[in-house]
Formats: sequence, C-alpha cells, structure tokens
Amino acid sequence: MAIGVKVMKRPERQVSYVRATLKGMVLTFKHMFEKKVTMQYPEEKSTDRDHGMGEWSISPRWRGTHRMLTDEQGRSKCVACGLCPQVCPANCIKLVPGEDEQGNRYPLIYEIDEFRCVFCGYCQEVCPEEAIHVGVHFENSEYSRDRFVYDLERLQSQTHAVSTLWDPTDPRGE
Amino acid sequence: MTQDLVTVTIDGISIAVAKGTPIIEAAKQAGILVPHYCYHPSLPSPAVCRMCLVEVEKAPKLMPACVTAVAEGQVVHVNSDTAKKAREGVLEFLLINHPLDCPICDQAGECELQDYVFQEGRAGTRYREYAKRYSPVEDFGPDILYVPNRCILCTRCVRFMEDVADTPVLNVSERGDRAFIGISQDQRLDHPWAGNVVDLCPVGSLLSKDFLHKARAWDLDKSASVCPGCTQGCNVSLDTRDDVVVRIRPRPNLEVNRHFICDHGRMNYRWLNRGDRIEAPLVRNGGRHAATDWDTALARLEQLTRGASGKAVILASGRASTESLGLVRRMLDRFDVTAAVYVPLGEEAPLANVPNLALRRERAPNLHGAELLGYTPEWDLAVREAPGAALVVVLDVDLSEADEAALAGARGALVVLGTVFGEGLRNAELVLPVTNMAEENGTYVNRDRRIQRYHQAKSQPGMARPAWWVAGEVLAGSGPSPSAPSTAAEAFALLGERWPVFAGLTYTDLGFTGRILGEAPVGALAPSSGQGAR
Repeated sequence: MAIGVKVMKRPERQVSYVRATLKGMVLTFKHMFEKKVTMQYPEEKSTDRDHGMGEWSISPRWRGTHRMLTDEQGRSKCVACGLCPQVCPANCIKLVPGEDEQGNRYPLIYEIDEFRCVFCGYCQEVCPEEAIHVGVHFENSEYSRDRFVYDLERLQSQTHAVSTLWDPTDPRGE
Repeated sequence: MTQDLVTVTIDGISIAVAKGTPIIEAAKQAGILVPHYCYHPSLPSPAVCRMCLVEVEKAPKLMPACVTAVAEGQVVHVNSDTAKKAREGVLEFLLINHPLDCPICDQAGECELQDYVFQEGRAGTRYREYAKRYSPVEDFGPDILYVPNRCILCTRCVRFMEDVADTPVLNVSERGDRAFIGISQDQRLDHPWAGNVVDLCPVGSLLSKDFLHKARAWDLDKSASVCPGCTQGCNVSLDTRDDVVVRIRPRPNLEVNRHFICDHGRMNYRWLNRGDRIEAPLVRNGGRHAATDWDTALARLEQLTRGASGKAVILASGRASTESLGLVRRMLDRFDVTAAVYVPLGEEAPLANVPNLALRRERAPNLHGAELLGYTPEWDLAVREAPGAALVVVLDVDLSEADEAALAGARGALVVLGTVFGEGLRNAELVLPVTNMAEENGTYVNRDRRIQRYHQAKSQPGMARPAWWVAGEVLAGSGPSPSAPSTAAEAFALLGERWPVFAGLTYTDLGFTGRILGEAPVGALAPSSGQGAR
C-alpha cells in the first residue's frame, strides 16, 4: 500500500463497558487531587506574586499603561523637554510646557492617549529625567472612551510597577 | 588670476578668494565649516573663543581662522588630528562649568555648543573635584534673560551692543572662571535692536522672554519671509509650530538687514495668528450677511464691478502684497479710481553702525510697491471721497471709527476684502475672506525699490483666499477661465502687462535677496485716472 493505513482492531463480539468506564473515572478522580493549573482570574492575578501563581507573573519588562514618577514633594519629575512627543511613533503624547513660580520648567499639559499608544517604550527610553515610564500593568477597562486619555494627575496617581525595559545586569540583551 | 585673488588649499580643496579674506570665510566658500563661537560675519573678530584654531602649514602654532587672513599658496588643515585635538580641548574646558540642562534649555536643538560637542567633543568629563559654578538667572531687559551658567563668554552680545548698536551697556565682568556678562549699573538692555543678542548667542545664555518655553527648536517649521513691520523690508524667517507663528527671526541678507532685525519686527507677529477670522464669503441679503460659496460671491462682485462706472475708491492696507494691490487696482480699471494705502507712523529707530538699516517711520511694508501701482498714502483724502463713490473696496485694513463712520453713509456699494470683520462695516454689500501675509506667497517692495518675495508659513483659515486670486477671477470673467492666475507667480506676471516697471520680471528673477526695480522715478508710472483729478 502506498499510504500507511491503520486498520483498527475492533472487538469482534459484544464486551462490557464497565471496565472502560472505571478506567476513565480513575483518571478523572486522579486530576481532582492533583495540583491545579488554572489561575482563577480575576480573583487571582498574575501581577500579585503572593497570591497569584508565581511562575505566571508577567515579565518585569512588560510595557503597559504609563506612569509619571514624582519627586519627594510630590511634583512630577517631568521638565517638559519635549523629547517624548518627538520620539513617539504613534504621536500620542500632548505636551505644553510652562514655568512655575520658582522659574522651573514643568508641563502645563501632559496627556497620553492610551488608545493611540503602541507601547513601544521609547518615551521611557528617551526621558532624560526618568519621569515617564511604561508600567507592568494590563487591566485598562473603562466605561467611556475619553477616560483613555490619561492626564498628568492620573499618570502620577497610578501605583503599578514600572517597566524595566532591559535587564540591569545585561543591558545589551546578550 | 587677477591681482586681488589668492589661491589657498583647505582640506585638499583649492580655492581662489579675495585677498584679506579670513580663513574661516575662505573655508565657508570651499564648503568646509570651521567650528567657531566668537566669530560672526557681522561683528568684529576678537579671537577669544579659540574654537576656530586650524593647522596652517609652515606656521609654528595653530592659527585662529577668524582673524588669520589667507595668503598665496597657503595650505590649511581644518580636520587634521592636531586641530581636532585642540577643539576637543576647548570644548572640554567650556563644559567644565556649562550645565547639562539641555532638556530645559530653549536653545537645545539649535545650540552650537551642543552640536560641536556631539560632533567632536569628549564623551565624559575629567573634572570631578569641584561642583559647577552657579549663578542665578538675571533679568537684562524687557525681553531678555541672562543665564550666566550657560554662558561661554564668546562676547558676541558685548560686541553687538558696543560696535553695532553703539550703546555699550554690556561688558565682561570679573576674571577667569568667575567671569560673566555684566550690565552697566542702572542700565537696561532696552535698545530697540537689543533682541539680536538672543539670536547672536551661540548657546542658551541669552533668552527671549517672549519665546521662553514656547517650542523646542525641532518643533519649528521655518518659512522664508519679509518682515511686515516697516518699509525697510528686513528678511526674516517665520517660525511656526502647529500652524501658529511663534517667533520671527532674522534671515541674513547682506544688502538689506545683514543679520539683524529690530524688536518691533520681532514682536510684531501676534496679528498673524488671530482666531476671529472671516472664514466664508458673506453676501448681504436685506439687513443680514449670509455665508455663501465663492461662485456666488464672485458673481456678485463681478456684477458690482462690470455694471457700474463712475468713481471708485480703494482703501488698502500697506501690508497687502504687490500682487493683491495690483490686481485689485486692475479689477476696477473701468472706474475713475482713487486708491489709497494706509500707513501707520511710528518712531524711527536706526541701528547705529549699519548703513541704511533702521526701523522706519512708515510702518507699512509695501508702501513703495503700492505707490508704484498708483496708490497714494494720502489716506484722509481718499476716505473723504469714499461716501460719494459708486464703489468702495476695502482691502484688509483696520479702519478707525471715524473712517467707519464716513463709510457708513456711503452712497455706493461697499466691498470688503478682509481678514477680520468689524461691526463698523455692517453695511458692506460683500465681505470676502482673504489671507494675511503669513498665509500666502507674495512680494513686497521696500524703500530702496527692492522687490522681495515672501513665502507661505501657515495654512489659510476656512475658505480664505489671497486677494489677488479674487481680483484675478473677476478679471478673467465668469466661469472657469484659463487666464485667471492660480499661483502668486502667475499673478505677478500679470502686473507687467499694466505697469512697465514689472514688465518681463518673474519670480525666478527676484532670487533669494530680491531685486531693485528699474530706476524710473516713483509716480511717473502711475496710471493717470484718479490721480489726475487731484
């Protein structure tokens, strides 16, 4: 025969199903006592290392929704240098610079449209002040679309971990 | 080779230049940039920055290219290892005290220190023992801030105020690493041309308060233009960000303004960004104006200009282009026309040591172009004639209340070609939206009869069109006509048919620095109708 055809060997006479059923049930009950592999999302979360499943945690290099870091006085670290809107390939950052009472440059308006963002992480990479970061975060549902334009206040108030774009011990990825 | 030329070889390129040319200029002609800070073509050279040191064969040491004149058979190396090492050393010294605050510095992106350090500077510093010198920001004048930390003491600002503006208020105070640019006691940097020190500063040490934090250098789109401030016609660049003019900077034209513009011209850009513009043609229907399309509006304008004859008055802005003034004038050729151009007057402010450069009294960039086209600056006479005229055309001019009152009682039809529409012109038959000078291509004729082109810098609001387009369509007749000009260059060519002074000229002939129009006396070419009446 040119093609291999498997010829099944079928029982030639009537046999009992009891034996096969028991065999199946043994397998079923065995799984009930084995370690569970399903994560009970959203009760358990992969970002939650203590209660979630450790090996399922998302990578520290995950690039999710942004955070703006603040200094000790709670002001944003951003100096409105304009590099992130410049480098952004999706053109999703709106920045209007201004000057505060001490003459420091700071952003009057800083908005990121998370719908436009492609999460490349260039903004974090280019930032000379280590102010804007992409975050280790993926739960972004909202009830209205306009909530996805994150303003400065929202970017500052978020608390999720920030991404380490590269492994500090191996910055070149070698 | 004539007696006055010497041949030098710069980085392997042999070039003949005039005797006495500094090496830095000879290199520029050969297409080689010698990095420099203190040298500026419009200022005397003190050779203080030591950045332009170049290797000259048979010279014992490196020579400063800005003050060393070329000599016959000289061989210069700009990019030899010795010269590069010297420049690297100079940059390292400059960076000892220069803060690395490029992210918040307005000059970043157009900073010569940033450029040269990036090109050939050291990657890191070797001076770690002491903290960088710190001095607070000083307020020098109405529009100028001085940031001493960033200063590299090239003294361009000092030399500009002393040798060009002849008002020596700036100096180098203290010595050594404590040196800074000082301002004389009780003095302010409020000279009418003081803003130029901001452009001259190679780093971000002298800043314009007006432009502070407004835009990064790389956000700006630059368009070659001509200053609409006065009859001097300084060459400028309109810098726009997101379709908004954010600053005006000088553009070198050695025959008009060298490298400078006055502060009046520098600050005179806000009107270009007005938001309350007319965006659609308005036709009066009963007591109200209704927005319409161009076809309807042009048909109405044609009706007004073809049907009637008699007296017509044009009240035009001195900021209108030569093309617009000319074609609007031609559009009314069948009338007996009195055409006037509005010229606001101000103080004259010369720049002391540059010949033939001043902020002029007549604050209308195209006054002399208008005069060539038969317009008169005698505004009040024209306004007085307006109420009795069969047709009055207002071309983009802000009328005073008295003028508006005179027009309110006009017997004939009132047509407004304007950018903004005041309540005072409520009885206008037709209001047509036109572009301002930043939104169109065109030409201005300055006080020396130099005709210069300016280019579009931002987009036009709504349905606004250049005034020459409106007049050109009416001239060509109704319906799509191939003879109507579709570009400013075509409109300019149409001027030559009527006014011999423009005959045969095209935009290409005007070049980058403009062209002085023929020597015939102003006024002799003016059309006789209307003018002859007075």
